[in-house]
Amino acid sequence: MSLQDIILKLQEYWANNGCYIASGYDNEVGAGTMTPDTFFRVLGKKPWKVAYWQPSRRPDDGRYAQNPNRVQKHNQFQVIMKPVPPDGQYLYLKSLQYLGVDIHNHDIKFDEDNWASPSLGAWGVGWQVMCDGLEISQFTYFQQAGGIELNPNSMEITYGIERLAAFLDVKNSIYDLEWGNHVTYAHLRTEEERQFSIYNFEYADIKLLRNLYSMYQKEATRLVAADLYLPAFDYVLKCSHTFNILDARKAVSVAERNVFMATMRNLAGAIAQKYVEATDNETRNEANHE
Amino acid sequence: MSDFLFELGIQEVPVSEIKPIMGQLKNMFQLKLQENLVEFGEIETAATNKRFMLYFSKINERANDKEEQVKGPAKRIAYDENGKPTIALQKFLESNKVELSDLKELDTPKGTYLVVEKKIEGRPTNMILKEIIPTILKELTFSKTMVWNASRVNFIRPVKNLLALFDNRLISIEFAGHHSTSFTYGHILLSDGPVEVKSYREYCELLSKNFVILREDERKEKILSEIKDIEDEYKAHVRMDSHMLEDYIYNNEYPVVFCGEFDKKYLELPQEIISAFMINEKKLMPVFDKSNKLLNIFVGVSNIPDENHYVETGNERVIRATFEDAKFFWDNDRKDDFLALRGDLVNVTFHKDLGNFHEKSERIASLVEFLVKETNNFLLLEPLRDAAYHCKNDLVTRMVREFPSLQGIMGGLYMKEMDINPVTWKAVYGHYEPKGFGTAAMEDIGAGLLSMADKIDNAAAFLSKGMKISSSKDPYGIRRDANGIIKVIIDFKLEFNMNNFIRHAALKFGGDNEEIINDISQKLKELFLSRIENVFKDFLKIRYDVVNSILSSDDFNIYKMYMRANDVLKIVKTPSIEGLVALHRRLKNITKGSPIYNVTEDALVEKEEKLLFDVFKESKARIETSLLEHKYLDGCSQFLEMKPFIDSFFDKVMVNAEDRKLRENRIAFVQRLDQLLSKITDFSLIVEQ
Repeated sequence: MSLQDIILKLQEYWANNGCYIASGYDNEVGAGTMTPDTFFRVLGKKPWKVAYWQPSRRPDDGRYAQNPNRVQKHNQFQVIMKPVPPDGQYLYLKSLQYLGVDIHNHDIKFDEDNWASPSLGAWGVGWQVMCDGLEISQFTYFQQAGGIELNPNSMEITYGIERLAAFLDVKNSIYDLEWGNHVTYAHLRTEEERQFSIYNFEYADIKLLRNLYSMYQKEATRLVAADLYLPAFDYVLKCSHTFNILDARKAVSVAERNVFMATMRNLAGAIAQKYVEATDNETRNEANHE
Repeated sequence: MSDFLFELGIQEVPVSEIKPIMGQLKNMFQLKLQENLVEFGEIETAATNKRFMLYFSKINERANDKEEQVKGPAKRIAYDENGKPTIALQKFLESNKVELSDLKELDTPKGTYLVVEKKIEGRPTNMILKEIIPTILKELTFSKTMVWNASRVNFIRPVKNLLALFDNRLISIEFAGHHSTSFTYGHILLSDGPVEVKSYREYCELLSKNFVILREDERKEKILSEIKDIEDEYKAHVRMDSHMLEDYIYNNEYPVVFCGEFDKKYLELPQEIISAFMINEKKLMPVFDKSNKLLNIFVGVSNIPDENHYVETGNERVIRATFEDAKFFWDNDRKDDFLALRGDLVNVTFHKDLGNFHEKSERIASLVEFLVKETNNFLLLEPLRDAAYHCKNDLVTRMVREFPSLQGIMGGLYMKEMDINPVTWKAVYGHYEPKGFGTAAMEDIGAGLLSMADKIDNAAAFLSKGMKISSSKDPYGIRRDANGIIKVIIDFKLEFNMNNFIRHAALKFGGDNEEIINDISQKLKELFLSRIENVFKDFLKIRYDVVNSILSSDDFNIYKMYMRANDVLKIVKTPSIEGLVALHRRLKNITKGSPIYNVTEDALVEKEEKLLFDVFKESKARIETSLLEHKYLDGCSQFLEMKPFIDSFFDKVMVNAEDRKLRENRIAFVQRLDQLLSKITDFSLIVEQ
C-alpha cells in the first residue's frame, strides 16, 4: 500500500467515524498536536472530532537520508476525539484492520509512553503503539494544554505514516516506499533530507536564528496583548521551530534550554487563556440566543 | 460457604505499577472485609497489564453477628426513691425495645451506668461488597493518574470492565462511570469481543480458550522454557535482565518467545551500545556465546504466536534501523575532541542550587586525589585525576543525551577510542558502578575510587542544601550512593578514616565556615552509620546486636568495621562469650559516669592490681598488634588470657576506695581495660541468644 493510499484510507475511516477532515497546517510544526486544530480545540467545553494529515519537522532527527527509518520531516496522521469515546482502543485497532493489518498475526502492543510538550504546557497519558517492534502510532489521553486542565478530555491518535507504510509494504527502508502512482519516496525526499540535515546540523546561522527567535517572541507577546491570539500562536510555532534548529545545531545549553522552554510555555499559556475566555463568552452568547 | 470473583479490566497499565496495585487491592479487600466481620479463606490473585483478578474460594455468606453494648442512663437517675424506673430509664427501654431484665450495670469512673447488650445480625456479604468495592477502587493510589471521562475520577488508566460475581451472581456496582457486568475480555488481538462469565471455573476456562494465560508463574515458566530452547539450539545464553523479564511477564497475556538475526556488521559497534539499544529501545535481549561474545541474534517476547515469522522479521527490520541510529551517534560523537567537551560542562547544570558539572568535576578530582593518597595508590594519582576531570564529558555527547543509561560507559568508550591511558578510561567507564550494595563485585580499583569520589560529592551536595531523606523519600539516590561507597570499600579492602574523607567532601560546600562544614560532616556521618547498619544487617545478614556493638566504636573505618563484625560473629559463637559479655558490662558499670583519669603505676598498691598491670602492659602490645593485622579472634583470646587476673583483681581490690587518689587511679586502670576490649567491639551490647 502506498503512502497516499494510507492517507486516503485513514481519511475515509475517520470520516466514517464522525471526524471532520481538515488540511494540515501551513506553518512548520514539530507534531500534529501543535496545530490550531488540536491545540485550541482540545480546550474548552465544545465536542470536537477532527482528522488530518500533517507533515512534521524534527530537525534533530535528520540523518542525511542515510537512516532507513528516521527523517527530519515526516508525515503524521492526527485524530482528535473530544470527549474521549469509550471504545477508543477498539476504534484504533479497527482502523489498522481497515488499512489491511492482520491484527491476529502481528504483535500489536500498547507500551507506556506519556506524552508531554514542555513548550506548549501540555501533557497526556498514554502509549506508543508497537507493531512487531515498530512504533506505528502514539495514543494519548490529553490532560492539560496551555497549562489548563482539560474537561472534557480528548483522545489523540497520531499515526506515523512512513512507519505504517514501511510495515504494510514490508520495506526495509522508507526510501523504498511508493508515495503513489509510481512516484517514489526516495525521488521526492532524498535530496530534501540531505540538504536539510546539512542545514540543521552544520550550516544553520546560529546568530541569525537567535535574532529571529527573539523577534518572533516579541511579536507573539505583542499580539497576545492585542487579543490576537490566533496569529500570536503562529509566532509561538515559529519560535518552536527556530529553537529546534538551534538545538539540532547544539547551540543550546541545558540552562538556556529551560529559559527557551519557559518563554514558549508562558506564551502558549497566555494564548490558551485568551482562547478559553473568548470561547466561553461565545458559548454563553449562544446559550442566551436559544 | 460462598465464593467471590472480582476482575478489574483496564487499558494497559505500566508494568512498574502492577505489583503495587495488586498488593493494595488484596490488602484493602482483606482489611475492609475484616472490619465488616466477614470471614474468608485464602485469596487467589492474578494480574497482567490489562486485568487484576481476585478470587475468594471460601467466604462467608453473611458477616458475623455482632454484640453491641448500648449505654443507658446513670443508675442514680434511673430509679426514683421507691426503686421505680424513672422517665429516663423508661425511654431508654422503649427506644431499644428491651425489658428491665435485660439491663446490666457498668461501673465507670463517672459512676454506675445501665447498659444493654444488643445482638446485631450480620449483613449479607454481597451487600457489604457492593459498598466496599467502589471505596477500595477510589482509595487506590498510583504514581501518576489521569482523567478520561465525565466521572472525573483520577485513576491509573481508563477502566474497561468490572466483573464482580458473588456465588455466581452479579454484584451491581458503579465506578468511574462504569457499571459492573458479568463479562470479561479475552486476548486483545486474538479474541472476539467480551465473553459472559457464569462462574470462576468458567472464567478460567474462557480466558484460557481466549488466549489469556492468567497466572504470572505460568507465563514466566513458558517464557523461560522457550528461551531455554533457543539457548540450546544456538549453544548460547541469554543474559536476562530482571526488569525485562517482568516486562515480558506482565505485558503479554499470551507470551511467545521469538528469535531473530541481524547483520554481523553491526557487531563492530561496542557491545555495551548494542545491548543498551536492544534492551532499552526495543525490549529485545542480547544473546552471547559460551565465551561471552555477543552473537548477531536477539530474543524477544511477542503477545501472539508467530507461526508466519511476521513478528520475527518485523523486529529484525526494526533493530537494523535502531543500530543505524546507534552508529550515527557513535560516529558523530567521535568526530568531536572528547577531552575538549569538558569546556561545555559549564553549561550543564548539576542541580539548580548546586552549580554545574564543570565545578563538580573539579571537586571529584580533589576527592579522588585524597582517596588515592589515603589508600596508598599513588601510582593512580595522575590517571585518576584525568579521569575525574573528564568523567562527566559524555553528558554532552549525542549518545548520552539520547540514552542517559549509558553515561560513564560512553565516556570510557570514547576515551578508549582515543588511546587514552587504560587506567583513566576504565575508571570513567565504571564510575557509576556499583549501583547500590547488592550488585556484582567491582573489578577496577580506579573506577571504584572515582565512583566513591563522585558519590560522596553527591551526598555532601544534597545534604548541604538541607535535603531530607527518609525510608520512603530519597529523590537523589543518596542512600544508594552511600551503599555503593560501602561496597567499593569492602570489594577493594580499602582502609582509611571515614571522618577525614567526609570532612574533605564537606569542605567543598562549607567554604570557610567551620560551623557549616561540621554540620554537613555530621549529616554525612549519620548517613553512613545508618547505611552501614542497613548493609551489615540486611545484605550481609550479620546479627543485629553484633552490628550495634560494632557501630558504637569511635574508630570510623568501614573496612575494619566489616572485618571486626565478621570476627565478632565467630566470637559470639564460642563458649567464652558469656564471660566476655559479663566482664565488659562490669568494666562499663564501674567506670560509668567517671571522667577519664590517668593511671600511675606507682600509685597501685595491692598485689593483685600490680600483677594485673604487668600482665596488661604485656598483653596490650600483643593485642594491638593482632588488631592491626585484623586478627580480632586472636586479640580476643589474648584478652581472655587476662581474665583470671582481672577476676582476682575485682575479688581482692576495692575499686571504689575511700582514698580519692587510690580510687581515681583504679578507675583509670579499669578504663584502660575497657578501651582495649572495646577496640574489638562493645561486648556489653551483645544479647544472649
